[in-house]
Amino acid sequence: MADFISRISVVCFAASYAVALGFEVTRLWFRSGVRGVTMVGFATAGLLAHTLYLFWRAATVTALPLSSAFDWYLLAAWLLAAGSLWMTLSNPRTPVGLFVLPVVLGLIGAAELSSREPFPQSPATQTWGVIHGSFNLAMSVAIVLGGLAGGMWLIQAGRLARKQAPLQGFRMPSLEKMSLWASRMVVIAACAGGSGFLSGMILNAVNRRRGLLETVPWNDPVVLRMGTLVVWLIIAAAISRLFSHRPEGRRVTAVLSLVSLAMLTASILWGVLGTTQHGMPPQQPVVAAPPVGGAA
Amino acid sequence: MSLTFVGGSYRTVPIELRERLAFSAEQASEALGRFRREFPGNEAVLLSTCNRVELYAAAEQRQGPPPPDELAMFLAECRGVELAAVNSVLAGDHGPAAVKHLFSVAAGLDSMVLGEPQIVAQVKQAWQLAVASGTTGPLTGELFQAALRAAKRVASETALGRERLSIPSVAVADFAAGVFERFDDKRVLLIGAGKMAAETLRYLRDAGASDVRVVNRTAGRASELATRLGATAGDYRDLIGELVAADLIVSTTGATEPVVTLAAFEQIDAQRQGRPLVVLDLAVPRDFEPAIGARPGVWLYSVDDLGQACEANRRRRQREMPAAWTIIDEETRRFMGDLHHRSTVPVIEQLRAGWNETGEAELDRLFRKLPELDEAAREEIRQAFSRFAAKMLHPPLASLRSESHAGPPHGLLDALRRLFDLKE
Repeated sequence: MADFISRISVVCFAASYAVALGFEVTRLWFRSGVRGVTMVGFATAGLLAHTLYLFWRAATVTALPLSSAFDWYLLAAWLLAAGSLWMTLSNPRTPVGLFVLPVVLGLIGAAELSSREPFPQSPATQTWGVIHGSFNLAMSVAIVLGGLAGGMWLIQAGRLARKQAPLQGFRMPSLEKMSLWASRMVVIAACAGGSGFLSGMILNAVNRRRGLLETVPWNDPVVLRMGTLVVWLIIAAAISRLFSHRPEGRRVTAVLSLVSLAMLTASILWGVLGTTQHGMPPQQPVVAAPPVGGAA
Repeated sequence: MSLTFVGGSYRTVPIELRERLAFSAEQASEALGRFRREFPGNEAVLLSTCNRVELYAAAEQRQGPPPPDELAMFLAECRGVELAAVNSVLAGDHGPAAVKHLFSVAAGLDSMVLGEPQIVAQVKQAWQLAVASGTTGPLTGELFQAALRAAKRVASETALGRERLSIPSVAVADFAAGVFERFDDKRVLLIGAGKMAAETLRYLRDAGASDVRVVNRTAGRASELATRLGATAGDYRDLIGELVAADLIVSTTGATEPVVTLAAFEQIDAQRQGRPLVVLDLAVPRDFEPAIGARPGVWLYSVDDLGQACEANRRRRQREMPAAWTIIDEETRRFMGDLHHRSTVPVIEQLRAGWNETGEAELDRLFRKLPELDEAAREEIRQAFSRFAAKMLHPPLASLRSESHAGPPHGLLDALRRLFDLKE
C-alpha cells in the first residue's frame, strides 16, 4: 500500500482534474447522459490521489501539510477541488467545475514552480507559523470562491439583462445565491487576511526575541504584496457593506470580488516568478530553527 | 405474427371530425369489447386523445390482424361516423412502419407541441384500458413496453422535452429562478386579473411561493381572485406600498396606459433598500414603462421578451429531432428483431425437444448395456450428452438470431424444418 501511495505523483491528480475539466467544457456544445458520472468519476479519482499524495508528503517528507510553498499551494488546490466536487454533486446541472477546476490546476501549476524545501521549523515558532499559514490559506480560498461567485454573478446578470433563456445542462446559480457567496467571502477574506498579517507580525516578533531575525523585513516583496492585498480586502469589504442596501450593491460586490481574485492571481504569479527571503532560513547561524509560514 | 394500425391526428383530421371520432374512456372500453367479439384472436389498443385517434392491432396467426381499411371502418362504425368522411383522412400502416409510428407518437415527435410529455401518460392509459378490456396479448404487450422505453430514451438522451414553451413556465423557471434562489421568503404581487396571472402563480407556487398579494382596480375582483388563488387581497390605492414590499410582480391589467411609470418607480426605489425586483409584465399594452428595466436591481420582462425566449426554446427542440429519430429507428430495429426472433421459438423448441428425446433414448440404451455404471458416472455421461446437444445446436440457433435482425428468417426456418423433419 505504502509503495502504491509513494508512486502517486502530482501529474496523476492534475491529469484527472484536467480530464474532468475537459468533460465540463463539453457541456457548452452537447448533452450526454454519461458525462456527469464520468466527470465526477475523474474528479473523485483526482481528489483521492491528491489526498493520498498530501498524506504521503506530510508523513514522509515534511512534518506538516503547510511546511513548504509547494505543500501550501497543493493544500489550497485540494480545498478547492473538494469544494468543487461537493458543489457538483449537490448541483449537478451547475457547471461548478468549469469555473473552479482551472483555478485548481493553476494552483497545482504554481506548486510545481514553487520551492519544495520545507520552511525551517522549531517547536517555539511552529504554532504561530501554522496559524499564519492557515489564515493566509483561508484568505486565498475565500478570495477564489468569492471571485468565482462574483464572475458567475456577472455572467448570469448579463444573460438575464439580455433576456436569454439558460442553456440546457448549463444552468448558472441564481443571482441571490452568488451574491450571498460573494459578499460573505469578501468579509471572510478580509478577516482571514487581516488575521494572517497580524499573526505574521507576531511570528516575526517571536523570531526577533529569539534572535532569529535582526529586523522585520517590511520591504520584502511578499510582505509588501500581502500587505497591499489585505488593505485592499478590508477596503473591498467596507465598500461592499456600504453598498449593500443600494440597488447596485450586488454588482459592486461582484466586481470587487473579481478584482480581489485578480490581485491574488497577480500576487501568486509575482511570488512564483520573483525572489524573496520570506519563509527562508535566516542568513545567520541560528540557535533554534526558524518558523513555519505561509507561502502567499 | 404481425402488427398494424390505423388512425388520424391533428395533421390530417379537421377538429370537427376529431371531435366526432374521439372516444371517452367508457366508449373506448366498449369499442375494445366489440373488437374482441368481431376479431377473435386479435390484440388491440385504442389511443384517443384530443389530437389523435389511433387503433393498433396485432395477431399471432399467419393471416395477421385486420388490414387498415377494415380497422378504419371499425372505428367509423364505433363512433357512428360515415365511412366516406374518415376514408380520406385516416391512414394506416403495418409492420416496422406501424411500430415506428407508435414509438414516435409516444416520444412526442408527432405531437402538436413537439416533445410534450403528456402523451407518454396517454399512451400508458390507452394500454391499461386495453388490458382491462381484455384485448391485449404478448404482441401488444411487448409493443407498448418498447414504445414507453423508446419515449423514455428520447426524454433522457435528448433535450426535446426539456425546453419550456409556455410564457408562464419560461417566466418563472428561466428568469425569476435565475434571480432568486428560493421563493418561500419572497413577496409575490399580482396586479390585475389577466388570464396568465393564475397560470404564472401556479408555477410560482410549485417553486415555493406562499406570500402572494393580489391588487386590482376593482376591490371586489381582487378579493374574489385572492380567494380563488389562495392569496391575500391588497388595496390598489396603496399600490406604491405594495410595490415597495414586493420581490416579484406579475402584472396583467387591461390598462391602456402604463400602471407604473419610471417617475413613480424612482420614488419607491430608495424605499426598497436595494432588494432585487423581478417584474413579469404580461399585459398588452405594457403595465410597466420599459425604462424601469434599465434600473439597477430590476429585472423586467415583457410578453415579447418571454415570447422570444419561448421561440428560441422551440427552435432548440427542433434541433433535437435528428437525435430523437435516431433513437426511434434504433428501438424500432431492436423491437422488430425481437419480434422476428419470437417467430423462431416454436422451431427452436421442436429442435431442442427432438435432440433431447433422441439423447434420452440413446442414454437408456447405453445404461442398459452397461449396468455396472454407478450413479455418478451416469450423471457425468448425461451431462456430456447435454453439452454435446447444446454445442451442436448453437450454430443454427445463432444463425437464426442473426437473421432475425434483418427480417423474418423464413428461409432458415424452412430449411431447419426440412433437415430435421419438424412440423409446421
